[in-house]
Formats: sequence, C-alpha cells, structure tokens
Amino acid sequence: MALKERDEFSGQLTTGHEWNGIKELNTPIPRLLWVFLISTTVFALVWTLLMPSWPGINGYFRGLLGVDQQQAVRASLAEAEAERAAWSTRLVSEDFETLAADASIVSLVRQAGPPLFADNCAACHGLKATGNAGYPNIAQAPMMWGDEPDTIAETIRVGINAGHPESRLGQMLAFGRDQMLGGEEISQLADYLMELHGGPVLEAEARAGAETLFADNCAGCHGSDGKGMADTGTPNLTDPFWTYGGDRLTVRQSIYNGRQGTMPAWEGRLSPAQIRLLALYVLDLRGALP
Amino acid sequence: MFGFHYRIERSAMGLVGFIIVVASIGGLIEIAPLFTIDETVETAADMRVYTPLEVAGRNIYIREGCYACHSQMIRTLRDEVDRYGPYSLAVESSYDHPQLWGSKRTGPDLARLGNKYSDAWHVTHLNNPRDLVPESKMPAYRWLLRDALRTDDLSDHLAALRAVGVPYSDEQIANAVQDAYGQANPDSPEAAGTAERYGEATNLRVFDGLPTKLTDMDALVAYLQVLGSLTDAAVRTETAGIE
Amino acid sequence: MVADFTRDERVSALIVLGGLILAGLFMAIAGRNDLLGVHGWMIAAAGLWGFFAMVRGFGLPEPPATRLAEYYDAPTRVGLILTLLWGIVGMGAGFWVAALLAWPDMTFDVAWLSFGRLRPVHTSGVIFGFGGNALIATSFHVLQRTTRARLPDAISPWFVLLGYNLFCVIAASGYLMGLTQSKEYAEPEWYADIWLVVVWVVYFAIYMRTLARRKEPHIYVANWYYMAFILVVAILHIVNNLAVPVSFGSAKSYSLFAGVQDAMTQWWYGHNAVAFFLTAGFLGMMYYYLPKRAGRPIFSYRMSIVSFWGITFMYMWAGSHHLHYTALPHWVQTLGMAFSVVLLVPSWASAGNALLTLNGAWHKVRDDAVLRFMALAAIFYGITTFEGSFMAIRAVNSLSHYTDWTIGHVHAGALGWVAMITFGALYSLVPTMFKRERIYSQKLVELHFWLALTGTLVYVFAMWNSGVIQGLMWRTYDETGTLSYSFIDSLVAMHPYYIARALGGLLFLLGTLTALYNVIMTIRMPAIGAHDPQGDLPAEPALQAGE
Ligand code: HEC
Ligand code: HEC
Ligand code: HEC
Ligand code: HEM
Ligand code: HEM
Ligand SMILES: [Ca+2]
Ligand SMILES: [Ca+2]
Ligand SMILES: [Cu+2]
Repeated sequence: MALKERDEFSGQLTTGHEWNGIKELNTPIPRLLWVFLISTTVFALVWTLLMPSWPGINGYFRGLLGVDQQQAVRASLAEAEAERAAWSTRLVSEDFETLAADASIVSLVRQAGPPLFADNCAACHGLKATGNAGYPNIAQAPMMWGDEPDTIAETIRVGINAGHPESRLGQMLAFGRDQMLGGEEISQLADYLMELHGGPVLEAEARAGAETLFADNCAGCHGSDGKGMADTGTPNLTDPFWTYGGDRLTVRQSIYNGRQGTMPAWEGRLSPAQIRLLALYVLDLRGALP
Repeated sequence: MFGFHYRIERSAMGLVGFIIVVASIGGLIEIAPLFTIDETVETAADMRVYTPLEVAGRNIYIREGCYACHSQMIRTLRDEVDRYGPYSLAVESSYDHPQLWGSKRTGPDLARLGNKYSDAWHVTHLNNPRDLVPESKMPAYRWLLRDALRTDDLSDHLAALRAVGVPYSDEQIANAVQDAYGQANPDSPEAAGTAERYGEATNLRVFDGLPTKLTDMDALVAYLQVLGSLTDAAVRTETAGIE
Repeated sequence: MVADFTRDERVSALIVLGGLILAGLFMAIAGRNDLLGVHGWMIAAAGLWGFFAMVRGFGLPEPPATRLAEYYDAPTRVGLILTLLWGIVGMGAGFWVAALLAWPDMTFDVAWLSFGRLRPVHTSGVIFGFGGNALIATSFHVLQRTTRARLPDAISPWFVLLGYNLFCVIAASGYLMGLTQSKEYAEPEWYADIWLVVVWVVYFAIYMRTLARRKEPHIYVANWYYMAFILVVAILHIVNNLAVPVSFGSAKSYSLFAGVQDAMTQWWYGHNAVAFFLTAGFLGMMYYYLPKRAGRPIFSYRMSIVSFWGITFMYMWAGSHHLHYTALPHWVQTLGMAFSVVLLVPSWASAGNALLTLNGAWHKVRDDAVLRFMALAAIFYGITTFEGSFMAIRAVNSLSHYTDWTIGHVHAGALGWVAMITFGALYSLVPTMFKRERIYSQKLVELHFWLALTGTLVYVFAMWNSGVIQGLMWRTYDETGTLSYSFIDSLVAMHPYYIARALGGLLFLLGTLTALYNVIMTIRMPAIGAHDPQGDLPAEPALQAGE
C-alpha cells in the first residue's frame, strides 16, 4: 500500500502518493462543508418543489405554488394598470382644457412625460423636442397640423404619412424632379424664400415673378401668405423654423425633390392615456400649460 | 465513497466514462424535453417567414455584431413590458436560426422595433447615430449605404433555411433574388411577385431612399422594420391576460 | 521542431500539411465568390509554410534515442509565448472595445474597427487565444510530470498546438471580415468548427496515450480537470455548433436549432464554456502549479474529489440561469437556478482547497509575487463563483441581466481568476522550460502583480457600479406608476464608468506587456545546463510511490 506520512505543519496524513513532488493530505472534509452542501441542496429541492421544475416527456411538474412567469407578469401589469387608473381614466375621459387647468395633472405630465418622450419621441425630435434635420421642432415651431391639443393628440395617434389607415397625409410635391417647375423658377422661389428670411433683397421684377410663381404653385398648400395651413399640414415658410433646413441649397432641394416626412403612428404601441399625456407634455414644452 | 474513487482514478478509461456520463445528465434533462413538450412553443397560425431581403438583412445584423449590444428578448417583467412592449414569446423566434436573444443591453431591446421609426430615420441613424442621438454609443455604419447587397446566393440561403425547418416553398426559393429586388423597389416589375409570394402585408419600400441601388442598408432596414411583427401572438397573449 | 521528428513523423507531417494545402485550395476555389475563399487561401498558405519548413528540415539527422528519457517540452515553450502574444492581442482588443464604448467615434468608417466585429475578437482572443494556449501548454507540461511519461510522439502535440492556433487565427480574422455565427463564444463558422473537432480529437488522444504509459498508478487531480475540460468542451462544441452551411462554397451557415431550443443549447454551451474552459481547465493548472510553488501538499484529497465531481455534474444544469424570465419555459429556469445555488459548494470547496493548501506557506505568498498571483486567483475564483450563484437567483438576475453587472462578474473571473492563475503558472514555468536560472526580473513580476490587481479592481468596481445603477434605473417607477428614467438617461449615467473601465483595462494590459518583456529578457539570459533548482524530480524513478 501507499507510503503514508504525516505532514508536520497540519498533522494530517498524506494519501501516500506523490506526483513530481506534489503530495496530498487526506484531510477529512470539514463539517462546515457538509452543512453547506446539505443546506443548499435542501433549499434547491424545496425550490424545485414549489416552482415549475422537473420535466417528463410531454409535460413538467407545475410546482406546488402553481407559479407561472407569464401569469405573474400579466397580473403585475394589470395591477399597475389599476394603480395608474387614478389618472389614466381622467386623461382619456376629460377634455384637455380641464386637464390643463388641473395642477395635479400638470405635475403628472412633468413627471411621467420626460421618460416617455425620451424613450419614444426623442430619437427624432430630440430630447428637448427642438427637432433634428428632417424632424420638426415641436417645442417652438408652429404645428403644421395645428396647435390644438386634440389635433396634436390625433397626430400622435395616427401619425403623418405613416402606415396607419387614418394617417394624416402631407406631401410636398417634387416640383423639379417631376418637371412642374424649371431650375430657374425654383431658384427664383428659393431666393424669394431667402428674402423672407432676411436674405438678399430681390429686385422688384424678380420678386413679382416669384410671387406669381408662389401664388400659382405653392399657395394652395402653404397659404397665400406662405404661413402654412393646418388642413394641408404645411409648414409656415416665413418663420425662423425649418424642418429640413433654411439654407438656400436645402430649400432648393425641398422644392426640387419634394418632401414627405414620416411621423409614425403610436396607436397600438402607446395607450390612449399615454398619447394624451404626451400631447400635454408637448404643450407644456411649448409653454402652453400653466 | 473515497475508496471507490481510489479505484476509479487509477483507470483512465474509467474516468473518461464517468466524466461523460456525469456531465451528460444535466443537458439531456433540460434540453431534450424542449423538443417533446408541446407547450414549449406556442402555436401561431399567422406566423410568417422572413422575405429574402429580410433574411439578408438579418445576416447583416449578425455580421456587424448588433447582437453584442442589442437584445431581442423582452422578459416577463413589468418594467420591460412597459418600456418595450409585450413580452417575447418562444414562437416569435421559432424561425430564427440562430436566435438573437442577446445577453447585453448596451443599446435598447429591439424585439418590438418594427414600425417604431421610419425607414429614413434608420438610414440616418445607422449612418451616424450621433446625428440624431448625441448621447449614443453606437458605431456609425456608413458603409451600409455604400455597399451593394450581395444577392446571387439568396436562393441557397433560403434552401439552407428550409433544410433546418423554415417552411419556404420551392417557388419562394427559386425566386429569392427577384423577390429581394422587388421588395426594395415597389415600382419595379418584380414587386408584384414579392407581394404575391409573401403576402400583401409585406413592406414594399425603397428602404434606403435610393431607388436605383440595392444596398446593405435596404436589407438591414427591411429586417429591422419587421422585428416583432412576424406574428401578433404576443399582443394577443398579453391582452388575453388583462381582462 | 523538425529536428525533433523521426523520419516517419516527417513523412506524416508532409502528408498532413499536404492535406491542409489541398483543403485550403478547395475552399479557395469553391469559395472564390465568398469570404470563404479568403480563409481558403489563408489555410493553404499556412499549410504551404509548414510544408516548406518540413521539406527544408527533412534531411536533418533524426533525434537521438536518449530523448525518450526526457520530457518533451518544446510545444510547451512555444505555447507559452503564444499565450502571451494572444493575451496582448485579446486584451488589446478588449481595451479598444472598452474605449469605443466611452468614445464611440473611433470606428473611423472602417468596418472591421467597429464594436460589433472587434468584441468577439476580444472574447475569443482572450478565452481561446490566451486561455486556450495556456491550457494546452500547461497541460502538456503537467501531464508529463504527473504521469512520469513522455508525450507519446513529437508530431501530435505540434499538430494540436499549431492547429489550434490556426483555428484561433481563422476565428479572429473571420470576425473582422464579418464572419460569425453570432452564438457567444461559439462564433466561428462551420468549417472552423469542424477543424477544431479534428484538433480536439488528437488532443484527447495525446492525453489518453500518455496516461496509458504513465508510471504513477493514480491519476493526479490536475489531470481529472484537464480531462474534463477536453471531453466536455468537445461535447458542448459539437452539439452547439450543429449547423447547415449555405453551400460548400459559402462561409455562412444556419444553426440547426431555432428560437427557444437554440437559446437553451447556446447557454448550456455558453455557461459550460465558462465551466470547463475557464474553470475546469484552470483548476487543473492551479492544482499543479500552486502546491508546487508553495511547496505544500494539497490540503485535502477528499475535498478535491467532492469539488471535482460536484463541478462536473452540477455546472451542466446551470446554463438556463442565462435565460431567466425569457421565453424559455419557467421549469428550465427553476432547475438552472437550483443547481447554480448548490454549485457554490463544490466551487468554494476548490477555492478553499487551494487557499488551505497555502497554510504553512503564507510567508511565501507575502514574498513571492508569483505565488501571490496564484493565491489571489483562488480568492477571485471564490468571489466570482459566489457572485455567480448569487446572480443566478431569479430575483437578482432580474436586476443584473443585460447590464454591466454581468460584465463585472465576467471580468472578476476573467482577470482575477483566469488571467492571474495563468500569470502565476507562466512565471513559474518560464525559467524551468527555458532552462534559465530564474525569471529575468522579480521586480517586474512584482510590478505586474500590482498593475493586474489595480486594473482588476478598477475594472470590476466600475462595472459593478454601472451595472447596478443601470439595472435600477431601468426598473425604477415613480409614484405615478410610470418609469422614472428613459433608456438614454441610463446611457448617460454609464459614461464615467466606461472611462474608468477603459483605464482599469489599460493597467491590466500594461501588466501583460511587462510579462512579455520579462519573458523575452528571461529567454535572452544564458541557459543553465543542469536541472533547474526547484523543478522536476528525475523522470526515471527509483521507487514508485503509492505502490
Ligand atoms: C421616426 C421619427 C419620429 C418619431 C419617433 C416621432 N416623430 Fe413626431 N414627427 C416626425 C416627423 C418627420 C414629423 C413631420 C412629418 C411631416 O411633416 O411630414 C413629425 C411630426 C410630429 C408632430 C406634428 C408637428 C406639426 O407640426 O404638426 C407632433 C405633434 C409630433 N411629431 C409628436 C411626436 C411625439 C409625441 C412622438 C413620440 C410619441 C413623436 N412625434 C415621435 C418624426 C417622428
Ligand atoms: C401639395 C401641397 C404642397 C404644395 C403645392 C407645396 N408644398 Fe411645400 N410643403 C408641403 C408639405 C406637406 C410640407 C411638409 C413636408 C414635411 O415636413 O415632410 C412642405 C414643406 C415645404 C418646405 C420645407 C420646409 C422646411 O421646414 O424645411 C419648403 C421649403 C416648401 N414646402 C416650399 C414650397 C414651395 C416653394 C412650393 C411651391 C413651389 C410648395 N412648397 C408647394 C406641401 C406643399
Ligand atoms: C456599441 C454598441 C452598439 C452596437 C454595436 C449597435 N448599437 Fe444600436 N444602439 C446602441 C445604443 C447605445 C443605442 C441607444 C442610443 C441611440 O438610439 O443611438 C442604440 C440604438 C439603436 C436603435 C434605436 C432603438 C430604439 O428603440 O430607440 C436601433 C434601431 C439600433 N440601435 C440598431 C442597431 C443595429 C442594426 C446595429 C448593427 C448594425 C446596432 N444597433 C449596433 C448601441 C449599439
Ligand atoms: C485588458 C483587459 C480587458 C479589457 C479592457 C476588457 C474589456 C472588455 C469589454 C469592453 C467587453 C465588452 C463589454 C460590453 O459589451 O459591454 C468585454 C467583454 C468580455 N471580456 Fe473582457 N476585457 C479584458 C480582459 C479580459 C480577459 C483577460 C478575459 C478572459 C480571460 C475577458 C473576457 C471577456 C468576456 C468573456 C467578455 C464577454 C462578456 C459578456 O458577453 O457577458 N476579458 N471585455
Ligand atoms: C458558481 C459558479 C458560477 C455561477 C453560478 C455563475 C453564474 C453566472 C450568471 C448568473 C451569469 C449571468 C447570466 C445573465 O444574466 O446573462 C453569469 C455570466 C457569466 N459568467 Fe458566471 N458564474 C459562475 C462562475 C463564473 C466563473 C468562474 C467565470 C470565469 C470567468 C464566469 C464567467 C462568466 C461569463 C463569461 C458570463 C457572461 C456570459 C454572457 O452573457 O456572455 N462565471 N455567470
Ligand atoms: Ca454576453
Ligand atoms: Ca461556431
Ligand atoms: Cu452561467
């Protein structure tokens, strides 16, 4: 048998083997380890008894507590829904005027609005809702489809040029690409819009030509004063806000290629209460809430 | 016990055999039943397959390693459902070879991304995320818009997917290349075929905004826009529980 | 290398390399319109390079018969260098991806520099490149010393080492080109996977053939672990990589399983890659180098047994803790959690066995940075496994999953345990293997130790903080019953921690660079002819202990 020896330091016997100078003590397993092993095993067994666990071929043991993760989360969602009902039912049943006048609703909007806006809308409109190239500033610019709270809520619900069956549709025609206007005419219109924004002043003759062009082609949608019309969802072309950009080149591109920005529809993804909450939040950013 | 071991450790083959047996038990008991217990994967009659363009997009998603930062698995937790939408069901990834559930969320979950943003937004965002989201940590994928999509082997891809169980028809496999073109160019003659073979609900759009080019961007955006909408099962299950 | 081969082995090598060239050419031609072709050419080039080296050395005299009385250490020497080189590649990539998360504009419009492609270069680089080479190199060394038998031949260890490194190169270069199966830690495509199986079979055969000729009747515990590592990794690798290639001319494949079955298979693999690659293999390493360096007997043979079989059995059940609350059926999650909790016992038993072995040698731990590396590794192993079992509890995982907490846990294990034990083994091995009197500079080892420790602590604490903050921000509700923070809020909160992590990683990387320098300088010192001072007992023993 093995050549056992006693380790001086610990007083334990070795197993008698040696591998290139390495020996092993035959120290018994500390009692603590057994306690540890038994207690964790008992815990594990009890846990598998309580929860769904051991499988068979066509089914599995459902657990004594009858817990199921899908049911559990559905219950907690329903509970959360009930908890939020305190304000969510008010949001959908009362009109905006009443809501905006209620300080508790306003503070709700200020609390719940920012994360909701940041998770869904900020990607396009920016965290402060001031817009990005191609995405309108909805904190300051006049709303193309109207500033009314109900209009805003409706825009959020159905979107603009979105897949929703009731989506708002707004299209800036491609005057150049579709050969409705020539390059020269587009330049004239662009210069005209530049002048409205403090660009170089046009000669009277050029301005008259541009005004006619505008009246003939653009006024139908943007209004004869160019200030936009809510029923066509057109932007005001005379204010300092531009969705796509106000430099002459970008403006020419807008007229040449047309524009058809897509605002997604949020019905289905967000609840009616969330949509109205966001409308209020946008209004608040615009300084429209007390 | 230790005496028994004292014998086992003298036999290499014995050790090998024991290791294999002892190590196989856990996997067998946990994995095999997933194939035999019916309720593991829900049934969803409306489940649709990916179009060839979406398959190509999915492969770009894999190629670029998007899964390293984005999960596609909304867990059964209240905050995840509140933030991202209905929790993910097994059936939703039942045509995903491999699944892309992910293990890290450096960026947000993408399981319900489809239709959340516009195509144009995705193109701008992928081209340089910080143009739209200044805080973003995501790389700028400028090459997606430059590189032409490889389509010549799309039929082989669909055939391989059928070999592992995705129900593509012979016709879908044969017309894969055409259908990819058609989907990204609704004005082309091929588009009608795509709609016919994959259903009217298929997104037929110029995803990358460049009607004359079929780019990697087309494919990736087409894929991103169907995430979470292969079946409505998740929405049905969630609402079923609430009333 | 060629000089160590017999005539027969040289012929076999030429045949194998010829086969490799042919396989490479076949891939290059079949995949000429695909990235597969690039890998084909790389493989053919590697084969050709080997072929020429072999042809050039073909006429060298055969090795003397006296070699059979000595251990065969040349592959271990090369393996140690490769370990360090891959360590620098892998950790360099780790530092770069860490920096990318702090400063994301460093992609410079170059596809292969983007985060998603570099991240697997990091994970595979450190796990397979650094860790795998360390395991192969040390296993050859330990196997011979603890069996008192020479490796069965000269050709198969080289085949394993170089073939394995070819696999690593194919893997890493593939990721850069965008070739990946996307399954974490199993990313290489089908042809690389097949090649790894071939290499692995030979690796296993070396083990069995050497064990069959052993002069020690009992197989030492380190070898149990190395064997479990080889066997179980083979099982995991084969099952998780089952896939159907698009065609023989395509690098792309589709995995056999989909959805929930694929996810479970993947994490059964993923978790046990941790268990049998990053744990069992390195425990094998620890069981040899730590008692050897400390000059103490293993604390308890019985504890070795309990922990070995506990680890082998229980780890295989635990994979589903990566899928808590997901679409994986609840019952699998329960089993994963239950076994993860019990798993702590064998894990702590091995950590405890290591630390208690140091009883009677703590003064050495104080004075010797090499032993200190190994002692610290055992401590981090204990910390990581405790943390792992804790994170496997469903409620905890609901917070930690998807966050940087996981990353903190990973690197407590990866830096604190895997890398530290490797450095300990490496520093003890290098002088012996290269027959140098000592390591070039003990001071540099000391510096490395402190760089590694500081780097690890900075990294891990940064990630624990950011992970917990992230997890809490994602789930915090205010009194209106709505979420308090947006995703972007959490992203902004991570920024300082990402910078801290990059700095911690940089310190760790610098430490690894000092190791490379120190090893190179050691090799450049004059060789000592005689047997090294603290190393091996003679291979031909007078008395067989234990009989
Ligand atoms: C994919 C990008 C995108 C997202 C996300 C988005 N929007 Fe929009 N939004 C737009 C675009 C583009 C327009 C302008 C559409 C047009 O003029 O054709 C717009 C317009 C609007 C308008 C109408 C502006 C007007 O002048 O009438 C409102 C209000 C609005 N968005 C609010 C929101 C809210 C609230 C959210 C989040 C729930 C949101 N948006 C999310 C892109 C987006
Ligand atoms: C059919 C209706 C229609 C007509 C006609 C029309 N527009 Fe528009 N225009 C729109 C709509 C709708 C938008 C908003 C598009 C968007 O935001 O995506 C718009 C946007 C613009 C913009 C971009 C504004 C910005 O903020 O960046 C410019 C510039 C513009 N129009 C100029 C013109 C000019 C000049 C004409 C005449 C040649 C014209 N439009 C005719 C509907 C029209
Ligand atoms: C380095 C990590 C990283 C990688 C790699 C990455 N992303 Fe992202 N992603 C982010 C972060 C962070 C955000 C959140 C900020 C933002 O919107 O840009 C994000 C946001 C997104 C969003 C918006 C999600 C939403 O709901 O707001 C989409 C879509 C997206 N990424 C797609 C992709 C695709 C496709 C890829 C691969 C081609 C990819 N990401 C690669 C980090 C990453
Ligand atoms: C220089 C030191 C290192 C640095 C700077 C570093 C950095 C990183 C970074 C930034 C990530 C990505 C995290 C994320 O996606 O959020 C990562 C992931 C990872 N690293 Fe490291 N790393 C280092 C060393 C190591 C070592 C030595 C190992 C293993 C031996 C390792 C193993 C891993 C693994 C397994 C992952 C994937 C984790 C997961 O997906 O959960 N790292 N590392
Ligand atoms: C008792 C032992 C251990 C247990 C129970 C355990 C448990 C866990 C858990 C619960 C996770 C998080 C899963 C998730 O939420 O996604 C995890 C991740 C991880 N652990 Fe451990 N762990 C253990 C030991 C170790 C050790 C020693 C290492 C060595 C490096 C390690 C490496 C990893 C890695 C790399 C991941 C990341 C996997 C991924 O998501 O990519 N673990 N572990
Ligand atoms: Ca991971
Ligand atoms: Ca693989
Ligand atoms: Cu795990």
